[in-house]
Amino acid sequence: MNPEPTDQPLLDVSKAPLPTPKTLAQRQSLPFQFLRFLAFNVRIMRMVIRGHH
Amino acid sequence: MSDVVILGAGISGHTAALHLRRLLDKRHNVTVVSPNSHWNWIPSNIWVGVGEMTTRDVTFPLAPVYQRQGITFRQAKATAIHPQGDSTDARGAVDIESTDPATAGTTQRLRYDYLINATGPKLKFEATAGLGPTGHTLSVCTAQHATEAAEKLREVIAVLKTGRPQTLVIGMGHGTCTCQGAAFEYVFNVDHELREAGVRELAGVIYLTNEAALGDFGVDGMVFDQQGFLTTSELWTSSLFREREVQAIVGAHVEKVEAGLIHYETLDGAHHALPFDFAMLLPPFGGVPLTAYAADGRDISAELFSPAGFMKVDADYTPKPYEEWRGADWPTTYQAPGYSNVFAVGIAFAPPHQISRPRKTANGTVVAPAPPRTGMPSGVMGKTAALTIADRIKNGADAPAHTASMASMGAACVASAGAGLTNGSAAAMTMMPVVPDYSVFPTGRDTATTRGELGLHGHWVKLMLHYLFLYKAKALPGWQLIPE
Repeated sequence: MNPEPTDQPLLDVSKAPLPTPKTLAQRQSLPFQFLRFLAFNVRIMRMVIRGHH
Repeated sequence: MSDVVILGAGISGHTAALHLRRLLDKRHNVTVVSPNSHWNWIPSNIWVGVGEMTTRDVTFPLAPVYQRQGITFRQAKATAIHPQGDSTDARGAVDIESTDPATAGTTQRLRYDYLINATGPKLKFEATAGLGPTGHTLSVCTAQHATEAAEKLREVIAVLKTGRPQTLVIGMGHGTCTCQGAAFEYVFNVDHELREAGVRELAGVIYLTNEAALGDFGVDGMVFDQQGFLTTSELWTSSLFREREVQAIVGAHVEKVEAGLIHYETLDGAHHALPFDFAMLLPPFGGVPLTAYAADGRDISAELFSPAGFMKVDADYTPKPYEEWRGADWPTTYQAPGYSNVFAVGIAFAPPHQISRPRKTANGTVVAPAPPRTGMPSGVMGKTAALTIADRIKNGADAPAHTASMASMGAACVASAGAGLTNGSAAAMTMMPVVPDYSVFPTGRDTATTRGELGLHGHWVKLMLHYLFLYKAKALPGWQLIPE
């Protein structure tokens, strides 16, 4: 457990969803991430083409 | 022959200078005035701030690049502008004061036919007592600040290794700060470094922000389409905070900082004191101070600049409530009212209002994240002003202006931790448009393009952008093919 000050108005994020082991593995999977890398670049180029005028 | 003067060599000013030199033949002069001798890819300062990169990795000297390109470089700061000319010459002029060590303090009046104000932000550490490198907190706004932050982080890690717990606070040093994405990125880089050092269990890491909710990022949050569900950036960001065990305090206005103690007020009006061992708090931004004079010597600064010191452009500055804000309020040409040859781009232009909903604490203290103007929009604005000026020089002063609005263009924010190709991670966000438009998109933005993802690929994107934009800024062959 991290040592946090107890008298601060810390935000309660205990209900936020946690990733599953499968999701965590996908975030580090080189083939899967390579596809996401390509998808990110397609999205960036779409923004450049459609939005920069 | 025309003289184009550009104040500032940051992302927007440097982009404008390179495009103008590309578009205009050598009969025309392009002059850049910047107090800094080096160009800095600021997004990578985050990596300098944790010791993963050095100042040399994120900066390079401007003079050789400008010499090669045929751009005149003056290492100086602008102090005044004369948009109507003066008693001796009707052409506009800028007063500059050298910051080159060899000629420091000497002044000169530069005449211009076209002026681009791209002076970037004034880092207003003085807005909060005790804030900043001369006070009690650190910064990553400049490469030098980031280097100092990395040194302090090393010291804190050394203390943690002796078994003594430490509290690290990262976030915003005032209720009106912007650039939450940078603090968000830094906090997860620090988290990564602490884990790598094997001391995370002993460290309390707190994100202290003026955002009313996590995931606001100064743009009123985003809505993502994820696996068939519309998901808020608040939920997405909260998940990351929970997973990485980073605590958050939201809706905070930092009132003052003492040695080891941050005093802040929250939206409910309560005042708090937070002890810390390490604090990186960003300052609020103001416009770089410039005095404007009419031809008869009258001070007309209030006509050209907003109270915060940003230059007014073609935005709708009519005060209106949040519910009536529209994308059309935002500027498109970045031309100063009344002066068709003066432009302000990047952080130098006065936004019409915030993007995120402004709030006040129960005591009336303003907590209102200022609108971010990140690298992509800043570069596009610089290019847009350059295209307009080139057209007007070639085709006459009444040539129509090129346009680019933050209500139509997108932006990317990649918060990356780690520096290797296989061991990094990142939260990568894209949004389009930056300013939400609820008349076009039910969620304010295009959900096909507005997206948040976590994973190694975001880290690759950040590395790619680092090398790509340093290459482009050095004006190496084919630089103009790399989009802003």
